[in-house]
Amino acid sequence: MNGLKHRKAAWMAMAGTLALGGAVVARAQAADKTVWTGVYTADQATRGAAAYAESCASCHGESLAGIDVAPPLTGSGFLNNWNNTSAGDLFTRIKTTMPLNAPDSLSGRTVSDIEAYLFQANGFPAGEIALPPSPPMMANVKIVAQKPAG
Amino acid sequence: MFDLSRRRLLGGTAATVAMMAIGTRTAAAPLRGADGPDTEWRHYAADQANTRYSPLDQISADNFADLEVAWSFKTDMLGARKEYQFEPTPLLVKGRLYLTAGSRRDCIAIDAATGELLWMHRLDEGRRALNSPRQLSGHGCSFWTDGTSERVLYVTNGYQLVSLDAATGIPDPAFGTNGIVDLKQNFDQELDLETADVGLHATPLVARDTVVVGAAHSAGDVPAVRKNVKGYVRGFDVRTGRRKWIFHTIPKKGEYGYESWLNGDADEAGNGGVWAEMSADEQLGLVYVPVELPTGDEVGVFRRGNALFGESIVALDFETGVRKWHYQLVHHGLWDRDIPCAPILCDIPVKGRMVKALAQPTKQAFLYVLDRETGKPIWPIVERKVEAGDVPGEWYAPTQPFPTKPPAYDVQGVTIDDLIDFTPELRAQAIELVKNYKIGPLYTPPVVSKPGRWGTITNPGIQGGTNWPGGCYDPETHMVYVYSKSQPGVIGIVPNTNEKVSEFPQVHGIAGVAPRPQTAMGSESAAAFRPPLMPGAAPTPGPGGPPAQPRPGGQAAAGPPPGFLAVQGLPLLKPPYGRITAIDLTKGDLTWQVAHGETPDNVRNHPALKGLKIPRTGRAGNLGPLVTKTLVICGEAGFYTNEYGIRGAMLRAYDKATGEEKGAVYMPAPQSGSPMTYRLKGKQYIVVAIGGGNYSAELVAYRLPGGGS
Repeated sequence: MNGLKHRKAAWMAMAGTLALGGAVVARAQAADKTVWTGVYTADQATRGAAAYAESCASCHGESLAGIDVAPPLTGSGFLNNWNNTSAGDLFTRIKTTMPLNAPDSLSGRTVSDIEAYLFQANGFPAGEIALPPSPPMMANVKIVAQKPAG
Repeated sequence: MFDLSRRRLLGGTAATVAMMAIGTRTAAAPLRGADGPDTEWRHYAADQANTRYSPLDQISADNFADLEVAWSFKTDMLGARKEYQFEPTPLLVKGRLYLTAGSRRDCIAIDAATGELLWMHRLDEGRRALNSPRQLSGHGCSFWTDGTSERVLYVTNGYQLVSLDAATGIPDPAFGTNGIVDLKQNFDQELDLETADVGLHATPLVARDTVVVGAAHSAGDVPAVRKNVKGYVRGFDVRTGRRKWIFHTIPKKGEYGYESWLNGDADEAGNGGVWAEMSADEQLGLVYVPVELPTGDEVGVFRRGNALFGESIVALDFETGVRKWHYQLVHHGLWDRDIPCAPILCDIPVKGRMVKALAQPTKQAFLYVLDRETGKPIWPIVERKVEAGDVPGEWYAPTQPFPTKPPAYDVQGVTIDDLIDFTPELRAQAIELVKNYKIGPLYTPPVVSKPGRWGTITNPGIQGGTNWPGGCYDPETHMVYVYSKSQPGVIGIVPNTNEKVSEFPQVHGIAGVAPRPQTAMGSESAAAFRPPLMPGAAPTPGPGGPPAQPRPGGQAAAGPPPGFLAVQGLPLLKPPYGRITAIDLTKGDLTWQVAHGETPDNVRNHPALKGLKIPRTGRAGNLGPLVTKTLVICGEAGFYTNEYGIRGAMLRAYDKATGEEKGAVYMPAPQSGSPMTYRLKGKQYIVVAIGGGNYSAELVAYRLPGGGS
């Protein structure tokens, strides 16, 4: 499967980074890794859309616009609330508190799929490597509301 | 306080000398009111009138920016997981703060001087709580005393009313069963205790020896069932928990209001709850109850007619539950204009005499001002013709009530003039975008969603305007202060044939996206409705889901899906996105208005706006302001990144006479519950609940540095 291939690629990239040592890790983290650099795959976002419909849409709405007691997950309010945090922060928030009736019930893979879908819905581009299913592996992916210049 | 008193006793030590040498203004001169008595805050919004007013003036325009964190209280350890939507305002009685907190909504007592936890009460309600339509910490608790006994009352996630001894947090054995009244029982309807769709965020309201409790339900955009729980309101004996009365917000046959429903629709309709805070006037013996819509937030096919008491303020005798008067703000509402907050009780001068009035902030940004003895408008409220829509089976009210005074305090409806105009290009794109929607004035009806006309842009959106925090009121100057947001939404109506999704033939949605069931906060019962989903299977929503939908207005593929209103990621309408308005009730006029909140990051940093000087836009959210002797105080909604690159939000103070900003203090997260204030041992504190995004819930107390004790 395509997604599997991407995940494999992600793992290989990480393994390579680890093998090359700390200095390289530091450089990799500093290399403009934001949500604008393609941090999820289109396949992943498609899976995420299904998982969103299953576990999130009844409160946050089909169009992710929110209701009185559930905040919007797209648009200015959402982006500003998460601007300058990391993909790992958002992952942790979803994983540990959502859905309200069964927090921590979604697998890490499902949560990263849902997060990929949120990124897609907010206009961040897809890329070649899937969002990993674990927050420490995306702590270096910065959520930036505006596409950095250049 | 104790520490500083001791320091004073040690006067002349090196430490004290060093402190004096630094010579802070506050250390040199005693703080204003430092010798005044301790004050209290015994109700959610200060008093039963819901003024959120305090005459304290130690914290003033001159020193607001000097505020320091006195203490803070993280709620992470309450409940099985962290909470990020922390909405309470604490009560203050005899030096202790009482509030609900944490993801399980525990009730706690905190030392108001130090933030130390004194006691906590928790009720593990299992699935009953997880199925609730209103979860997390809620708005707080209530206090009652007869001068001897002191009780703290709150409603749990699972909809049980608990009465605790204020001294110990131990349930009162004389109240209900071991201190608990099961609110799903004795409700004039048979309910499943574990799954029934009813809960409550709001605090119970204590009026003399009666505690009044409302009801809240799942959002009704895609109502699962026609015959949902009816949101009746009840009064209980505060000593015993005995039900004293029940008021049928959806009248039964033969009761007043039943005839306002066509075809006997009242028999089967549900909802009609009172999820907002309430007010009470103990002199008049009345409780003021803001009622929401019957089932169907945007579709009224099963509640034809004006359908009392939907979207009405109802005045009830709080001893008997007998209706004294009512006033319907919206007839047969189709815009989810549930009355979201308590009416503010205010005695105002009208034509040379003082009138007992009330002022009701709303989602639609009208402040309705009524005589609270009679329900008659203070200034004329006129019925105006409104347009009918095209939804099959819908019933349309021919007119809606429009207050002539005060003017609306936020933008109502949408015209081309209201669209974003930072640059001609953005305006042009906005014009293109709205061509794909129906626009018009307030009460433009929802329409059937179809490609190229996805729905009606409603402004304010279904979350208001003003929402649950409500406003505040200065009884000395007769000014109301209210926060509102300008955040339009889309109401499209789509047909539904899947009874497992909804028993409604028409639901709120966007053409091309199959409606999903909407049940209690994603409760377990929803799973029964859901089609099975195999791992890795194609998505079950409509073809492709929202991101794959055709784009309105020929936007780039990365643009928002239909139903989402943005232009290059910027809000569709002109700023301000959030504002505070001062409304003079002696005249019925707006006195000042200020954009509240620093400009959002994505606007400040937007490439299309480079080089433009944009005045502060404010930010959108749900906020309740506090008014003191001289200031209006309110935290910001949502995060922004400040000039130091630090995320957070500001607690801001405005001169209440002019709206001029006088100071601001950093908070690590946005205001999530409305602030309150008190003086304790000579020091004024401001306490506010914050949290959101990646910052979990925290109660923060601010006070001035040094001196004053």
